[in-house]
Amino acid sequence: MSTNSGDHADHTHASGFLRTYVFSLDHKIIGMQFLFSTLIWFFIGGMLALGIRWQLAYPWAPMPLIGNLLAGPEGGQIAPENYTMLVTMHATVMIFFVIIPILAGAFGNFLIPLMIGAEDMAVPVLNMLSYWFMWPAFGIIGLSFFVEGGAAQGGWTSYPPLSVITAAAPGSLNGQTLWLIGVTFVGIASMMGSINYMTTIIQMRAPGMTMFRLPMTVWAMFITALLQAFALPVLTAAGFMQLGDRMLGTGFFLAEGATANNSPMASGGGQPLLWQHLFWFYSHPAVYIMILPAMGMVSDIISCFARKPLFGYKPMVYSISGIAGLGFIVWGHHMFVSGMNPALGMTFMVSTMMIALPSAIKTFNWMGTLWGGQIQYTTPMLFALSFVSMFIIGGLSGIFMAATPVDIFIHDTYFIVAHFHYVLFSGTAMAVFGGIYYWYPKMFGRMMNDSWGKIHFTLTFILLNCVFYPMHILGMTGFPRRLADPYQYETFQNLLPLNQFMSLCALLLVASQIIFFVNFFGSMFFGARSGRNPWHSNGLEWQAPSPPGHGNFDFQPVIHRGPYEYNSPEVEGDYYPQTQPPPEIKE
Amino acid sequence: MLAIAAAITLAVGCSQSEPPPFRLNMVEMVSQETSDDYQQEIADVLGALFGTPDEPVALEETGLDANMLARSAGPAWSDEKGVQRGLYRKHCVHCHGISGDGRGPTGRFLNPYPRDYRQGVFKFKGTYTANRPTTDDLHAILNNGIPGTAMPAFSLLPNSSVESLVEYVKYLSMRGQLETALISYVYDELGEDDDGGRIPLDPAADPEQREIVLELLAEIVEDWEAAEQRTIAPDESQIPSDDRTPEEIVASVAKGQQLYHGKEANCYTCHGPTALGDGQQNEWDEWQKVQQKFLEETNRLAKSIQERASQDDQDESSEARLEEDKQTLAKRQEVVDTFYPIRHAIPRNLRQAFYRGGQRRLDIFWRISAGIAGTPMPGSGPASPGATANLSDEEIWNLVDYVMSLPYEPPSRSQEAIVPNKDEIF
Amino acid sequence: MNRFWGFLFFLVPVGGVATFAAAPYFNIWLPRDISEHGHAIDHLFFFILWLTGVVFIVTELVLFYFMWKYDAKANKKPAKFTHGSHSLEVVWTIVPAVTLLFIAIYQMDAWASAKMRPPLIPGTEEMISPTVEVTGRQFNWDFRYPGPDNELYTQDDIFRTDGKLYLPVGEKVLLRITSADVLHSFFLPNMRIKQDVVPGMEQSMWFKAKEKGGYDIVCAELCGWGHYKMKGRVFFLSRAEFDEKLEAMRLEQNTMRVAALDEED
Repeated sequence: MSTNSGDHADHTHASGFLRTYVFSLDHKIIGMQFLFSTLIWFFIGGMLALGIRWQLAYPWAPMPLIGNLLAGPEGGQIAPENYTMLVTMHATVMIFFVIIPILAGAFGNFLIPLMIGAEDMAVPVLNMLSYWFMWPAFGIIGLSFFVEGGAAQGGWTSYPPLSVITAAAPGSLNGQTLWLIGVTFVGIASMMGSINYMTTIIQMRAPGMTMFRLPMTVWAMFITALLQAFALPVLTAAGFMQLGDRMLGTGFFLAEGATANNSPMASGGGQPLLWQHLFWFYSHPAVYIMILPAMGMVSDIISCFARKPLFGYKPMVYSISGIAGLGFIVWGHHMFVSGMNPALGMTFMVSTMMIALPSAIKTFNWMGTLWGGQIQYTTPMLFALSFVSMFIIGGLSGIFMAATPVDIFIHDTYFIVAHFHYVLFSGTAMAVFGGIYYWYPKMFGRMMNDSWGKIHFTLTFILLNCVFYPMHILGMTGFPRRLADPYQYETFQNLLPLNQFMSLCALLLVASQIIFFVNFFGSMFFGARSGRNPWHSNGLEWQAPSPPGHGNFDFQPVIHRGPYEYNSPEVEGDYYPQTQPPPEIKE
Repeated sequence: MLAIAAAITLAVGCSQSEPPPFRLNMVEMVSQETSDDYQQEIADVLGALFGTPDEPVALEETGLDANMLARSAGPAWSDEKGVQRGLYRKHCVHCHGISGDGRGPTGRFLNPYPRDYRQGVFKFKGTYTANRPTTDDLHAILNNGIPGTAMPAFSLLPNSSVESLVEYVKYLSMRGQLETALISYVYDELGEDDDGGRIPLDPAADPEQREIVLELLAEIVEDWEAAEQRTIAPDESQIPSDDRTPEEIVASVAKGQQLYHGKEANCYTCHGPTALGDGQQNEWDEWQKVQQKFLEETNRLAKSIQERASQDDQDESSEARLEEDKQTLAKRQEVVDTFYPIRHAIPRNLRQAFYRGGQRRLDIFWRISAGIAGTPMPGSGPASPGATANLSDEEIWNLVDYVMSLPYEPPSRSQEAIVPNKDEIF
Repeated sequence: MNRFWGFLFFLVPVGGVATFAAAPYFNIWLPRDISEHGHAIDHLFFFILWLTGVVFIVTELVLFYFMWKYDAKANKKPAKFTHGSHSLEVVWTIVPAVTLLFIAIYQMDAWASAKMRPPLIPGTEEMISPTVEVTGRQFNWDFRYPGPDNELYTQDDIFRTDGKLYLPVGEKVLLRITSADVLHSFFLPNMRIKQDVVPGMEQSMWFKAKEKGGYDIVCAELCGWGHYKMKGRVFFLSRAEFDEKLEAMRLEQNTMRVAALDEED
């Protein structure tokens, strides 16, 4: 029984529990389903990271908890293939099951119709399917831990021949096949979502909501959806090619006579670098998929709590588009030392340098938004500000990598790890926390506890810098990635104490998130009731009830301005929602 | 939820304070029907004589160096500054296993499987076929690794560490050999006493048993010590001179080719007329053969049980035997379930430019003269000093020349693909 | 109490600079550079470090300053109602663009010399002959020297699998690098050189060492469970010592006597 959004008027609630809460077609429920699933996987990914940090702090010491389970007979120390599995699956889980779904699936789904004044997404069934297609991925990747050889171990980048020749690694037996299938499901889910978002944003805006009156969150989600739509098919195709190589004897990514671990020689005829091109053609835009929505949300939050219009709205929109456009022509910077023609290194270097520019423009504009404002330090504002501060670090460190001669040295070292953890954790994840604290009242009708939120923020902010900032100097020593025991090299012998410090802080960082989880789930039942617009935000979504019912708005929204008109001279006070008619009409 | 997590942590974490024990050689135990009591007693004897993975014992009778063993044994991680322990667990255990049985967690995914030390048989050595390797032989393997396998080189470790690891390998090997000897001793000698009770294995209490056990150990140790003098020294008069002319070398290679295809050495039957290793490929090496036999016997037993079980007329004693056999089958099946897939011993492709057991001419000489212990590769030289041999030293050097020239023959070099005449295709 | 937040963010530039200032005293810094071209890379690194460092300090301090000054609890002036400044946008678009382009062009030569200009035989377009072939395999670095005929893939080649690479110092050396199975990466931290090895591709690497001594070889591309175990060591010797060493290795490979073994110990 499908519903068109136009039928909402006579949609009954006689549907049972399954229809309302499990196989719901309501974008808000689907958004929350994404939110809960991704938060659980966030915890799992964090546990995997702690495993990595344990080995780096106490190499070959018996691991707590899993040591006995996995390798008890040998003394409880991690087997080296399991270290590569931890590294691979930590990245896979965080990228495909946490960051991408929480930004696009949770926030995108929940906010887009509310922010544009629509009743629901353009195709609610497709929306529901985009969530439920994640479950086969969850199951398959979860299952891959328990098959012979364990989960995929070739890095989340799964470069052939390691990931293609089944004998090359224990995880390349069945784990890698399951990985490819799981990622394909995620890709399908994302593509369904992206089509829905683009259609909704283009077609279903409320009257008066021109494109340049959209909040930055919606712009970001729109551009992100474009990125998904154009980049994902390449990854999906590459995934099928790798599956073919693994199971059907095709030779897309294997040279003639390819062998590993004395496996039978493959007939080959292909080229391992082809995978790298195809993979990064998607995965570079993917990293922008993982930051643009966060940038959009941060713009909304900063403007609201500085009580000032967003500085440079149109430049902000053009910057996001610029990042996305340039994002398609920089993928080769992951491959500078891969064996790719060095002449290409030159071209990718120039485009990669240029992509720093729109990010810089955005940073300046956020600071411009703060200038002359009246900053209210609520928990969401603190997280949004930390995004700006940390993104500066993450973005600047990217310039080192863009410089190809420097990249010769820092490629595959912890300098890279520092860079992407700064943009993804200190950046996006902080924005995600900010977004959760900010829109929680809209989702659940209650406030999260602000004091505990600030404690959560302070601990997270300090600890994440203790964990990830030293990775820059570690990378300067040449400290390599994915190495289970770097200290046996003379160059890295003295780096154990620093790593132990980082691991301790990582443990405390993960523990601090307990405060967030308790606050998140507890406030659903015990939080103060919030009312429609606890933050006095101008955004359209705050005009709907908290939480919004079916159909979202209890009036037909008509839009008169953008969402950032705080402290406008046209009204008394600093609050001027998008739906409020201008003073001339009132008279 | 937090309370549950804490409880699990405590439960699992606390059980980690127990150090890991050596594993029993279940294939030997089950195939010789060693009862659970005897298994425990054998483990106790081995514990008394050799200690545990954390605390090794170096009996004077074994001639092993206690300091070196202490450096190799124990947990890999040590908080104490300047104390280097746990070398074996740091570098070796995940492939070679805590007991040196080649069954660490990574082992099953490697081709070839990691070496099982417990038979005291090592492939790449310079001694006569039936002898143990020398300390230098083991040292050379650790220093150079084994190209073509997953065994890396450890020459960058301090020399004292490599020596300690070699000592520990010998220790594990002797321990494994004694375990097998004890299992056989129990099977052959200990049965029931006059009153029908079980004679326990307890050398601490029984002086006669003690003497026998120490004798068994002494035999094993003597073998190892004797090996140090059993390196094959090629006959000086038959070693080719260092300054041969190209013609002499060519002649030697041609002679070697003849011998390769000849009946005395029979190289081509396994290595193939092509020297690619595509001759017969149906044999097993010693380690796989033991498992293969065990598997075959288990299958035979299962079949016989099936046949007997389907018969209707059974008397009491045959019923009892059937039940006993079913229990034995269950035990054997448990052991079979732990086997890695059994692989044939594939003869080496001689057209590759590198060799597993060493790149020197002397290494190739040793391979041909003494064969490769534990594998179907036979020795063509003397089996012991002064014994008669299939090939003389000179002939073996001819074969060495031939083998080392194979990777550079035109057929061994990669060829340009022949471009088809496109005009003639359609 | 609310000024606390500004202060917390002030710690970012302070801590950030302090970390980089303190690191060299703990010997956590770029490894010693013994290569000829390495200084170009280090120079570029520090140039970018200073540039980004200045930008980092200025932007973080400005952020702190705004957080401090415009804190609603302390600042009672109503927020400015402005949507931006066209001229500011132009300035902070052009200035970073020019800077980035400058950095891009500035470094092209260093990249070309490291990766695009192999050492050639004088007067020809041919690369000089390789000093050694390095093969990465799961999980060891194997080396193959050309031997007295100076040509690789002939019968007098010298094979070494013990992870110790010998090279002459003070000369431009060309290495042929390859993989026997999966992707590996030949990384010499002290030479500032790194190249992934791809099975099936013909690849070379070249450099000139300025100092003698032993330095680490690290595998820098995930190659399986033993990725951490692919430890090697490169030893730079004077040309005379290098030739001696090659001869000694050649003799060892041609060993036919057990007595020769004892001398190796």
